[in-house]
Amino acid sequence: MENLYIQGTSNIYFQPTVDFNAETGVCELRGESYLEETVKFYYPIINWLKEYAAADKGAIVFNFMLTYFNTNSARSILDILDVLKEFEEAGGKVSVNWYCDEEDVEDVEEEVEDYMIESDLEINLKIYDK
Amino acid sequence: MFYQGVFDKYILHVFGNHIRKNFTPSKKIFSIFIELTQNIAYYSAEKGKIVESSDIGIGTLMLGEYSDYYLCITGNTISNEHIGAIVEKCETINSLDRIGLRKFKREQIRLPRGKNGGGAHIGLIQIALAAENPLDLKISPVDQKVSFLTLSVKIKK
Repeated sequence: MENLYIQGTSNIYFQPTVDFNAETGVCELRGESYLEETVKFYYPIINWLKEYAAADKGAIVFNFMLTYFNTNSARSILDILDVLKEFEEAGGKVSVNWYCDEEDVEDVEEEVEDYMIESDLEINLKIYDK
Repeated sequence: MFYQGVFDKYILHVFGNHIRKNFTPSKKIFSIFIELTQNIAYYSAEKGKIVESSDIGIGTLMLGEYSDYYLCITGNTISNEHIGAIVEKCETINSLDRIGLRKFKREQIRLPRGKNGGGAHIGLIQIALAAENPLDLKISPVDQKVSFLTLSVKIKK
């Protein structure tokens, strides 16, 4: 199974950097997510995770490192969490980390809490070291 | 800041950059700006084109700074058949406290996506959460097909 890497862009729209490692199981989504075709962008990402889960490889460590995402991307993030939850329920080991800057903790805390309720996954809120 | 015209992505990009550079707290205002302008680009009944070949919604946006809040007002025509759903959504949003809004958001995000893969149903809820204020919606009938919709929101500084 191959790694998935999509370079982020910041132009008219913002495409996050996707950095999924098939060997280590470390998956990162970095930057900002505001896209013209959100569903189309997230489709291969969700498929990669499903493929990884089906391949019975190792644990997944998923790091969300997003500084901004619009509500359309918020829905796709939930789709990712759903796949991770399915993997966990099938016996896979999943750890989800959500990174943010210290000044954004209050807002992000709420969002992470809502994602935890919605996906029934444990999500660790982590603050970037300055 | 005032704009009236086609809510074309290139024009919105310029405004978005201006907000990110010159407004504080920029993330909050930028996210409200994005959700409001996307609504107009997709749902305004009046369409036009500038750079893009496809039709984009036409509307009005005003963003002003006051001592303890920002005021964002958008205006656009909307097909009369969509009014009921928007009025109902805004009334629900305005009737809920923060805990209730978050619960409503969690319910709505699970609904099937809108047409063409757009729409997560939570744009207006997210605006109310970020602004920490109710949504002030006004509908003025234009003719049998469309009405003019004004949405104003105070954004807490």
